[in-house]
Amino acid sequence: MEVEYSGDVMTLNMGPQHPSTHGVLRLELKTDGEIVAAAIPHIGYLHRCFEKHVENVDYAGVVPYTDRMDYCAAMNMELGYVLAVEKLMGIEVNNRVRCIRIVMAELGRIASHLIAAGTYGNDIGSFTPFLWCFRDRERILDMFEETCGARLLYNYNWIGGLMFDIKPGFEDKLIEFLDYFEPQVDNLNRLLSDNWIFIKRTAEVGILSPETAISYGVTGPNLRGSGVKFDVRRDEPYLGYDEFDFEIPVGQGEYGPVGSCWDRYMVRIREVKESCKIIRQAVAKLTPGDVHESIPKRIKPPAGEIYMRTECPRGELGYYIVSDGGLKPYRLKVKSPCFTVMSAFEEVSRGAMISDVIAILGSFDIVLGEIDR
Amino acid sequence: MWNYFRDIGLGIVTVLTSMGVAWRHLFTRSVTLQYPTEKWTMPERSRMRLFNKIEDCIGCGQCARACPTDCITIQTEKRGKDEPEVFASDGTQIKLRTYVFDIDMALCCYCSLCTFPCPTHCLVMTPEYEYSVYDKLDHIYRFAKEKPLSGKAQKPHSEKTESHGQ
Ligand code: SF4
Ligand code: SF4
Repeated sequence: MEVEYSGDVMTLNMGPQHPSTHGVLRLELKTDGEIVAAAIPHIGYLHRCFEKHVENVDYAGVVPYTDRMDYCAAMNMELGYVLAVEKLMGIEVNNRVRCIRIVMAELGRIASHLIAAGTYGNDIGSFTPFLWCFRDRERILDMFEETCGARLLYNYNWIGGLMFDIKPGFEDKLIEFLDYFEPQVDNLNRLLSDNWIFIKRTAEVGILSPETAISYGVTGPNLRGSGVKFDVRRDEPYLGYDEFDFEIPVGQGEYGPVGSCWDRYMVRIREVKESCKIIRQAVAKLTPGDVHESIPKRIKPPAGEIYMRTECPRGELGYYIVSDGGLKPYRLKVKSPCFTVMSAFEEVSRGAMISDVIAILGSFDIVLGEIDR
Repeated sequence: MWNYFRDIGLGIVTVLTSMGVAWRHLFTRSVTLQYPTEKWTMPERSRMRLFNKIEDCIGCGQCARACPTDCITIQTEKRGKDEPEVFASDGTQIKLRTYVFDIDMALCCYCSLCTFPCPTHCLVMTPEYEYSVYDKLDHIYRFAKEKPLSGKAQKPHSEKTESHGQ
């Protein structure tokens, strides 16, 4: 968008205590009237020294800390870490563990996307979808709690296995939930996605062109919203995702240019449906087995380094682990998807209206816990 | 001009559609709970407050080693030869006298990593969740019942915790 700037520039601080920043983020807006000339994100309010701290914790003890990075999708966070350590140690898990992990990861993805869609509606000014999304998410959390005892920070994926096997009858509950939930997605579409006011508000702002997205290294639904078909689950399959049949939704630009806020939002809604499909297939593939079978007695990976990437709800999550052959990681580095999208934020929001900054930020679906770590 | 009226029209139509969806929702069952009066039954695997059945604890310290936040403090001493032998309920002989077994629930991250290595399964997470206190130090649960015989000075946990917190 080409905008001519003239006149005085006023600095406006948005955050850190702003409800639409989804955490503690400060945006320094240089505004020229109603137009944003520059938006500089200041991050770090939620910094907990994750990477340094886990150098002093043994490998199994890192899992609860990974949960706390992206607390909206803790299952997916720990899955990435656990897979990285397993790759380093050369552990193969059995089919049951694989299928349960996929089910849990996809449930986590649905829960996370529900938060994204609900809070986005809330940011734009529509409150009902927010409550409805939380209602449906609650049922997922109930299932998580029944399985592992925690609602938000699970510590469920362990290195080499799972904390508990699923309970008898869990599969039926899961199918029952999916049968209930899939029509709810259509309801959500009628309630929010197809609402013309919502479309007018989002479909022409926050254009993230595919070139910009790729050059900034944006991943996940934000990249797919720009029309780039890239998904780690398909392009570098882990856990046997290649055996599953699912689509990768991309932004099509029905109501405006490709890569708008509405496209990013809609990619998430469509992904939820694909996740339902994956869960149904994973439940069908479930075979009996012992989920503790390949948990090592002592977690002591050989010296070496590993990079493992997985597709978490917000994009490509990478763990880089350096091991010196000891009981604790020598170095652990996280490549977090929200951080990369945050760096593209300035470019996207330049020239937007102040009120659109909220719409753009909400459509990126950032979680500050993961950006700051 | 045409677009202007089309937007208004579409706006009204889609808002009415969503109101229809919301209207149908009025006749469904409510999903909320009036919390203090109504309570949800917790699933049996719920991981809330920790509990140690100290009579069964052999003082091996495996739980403290597994804990990623170091919130379990254990101090033990050997039982004398002339003392009567003590056994846990599963028959394991308790050779150590645990005279300090403190869990700081304010530090605990509820990961449950400590409960799995316990050889006598005496450390468990219970489904109890209502235990707020006014003072943070009240979150230190002191499970040990026995006193040290060797007369070793017992370091109060509170000092350690306070230096922790700074
Ligand atoms: S639940 Fe986790 S943090 Fe709490 S005492 Fe046990 S090991 Fe430590
Ligand atoms: S692991 Fe169990 S038996 Fe050993 S010290 Fe801890 S609570 Fe006691």
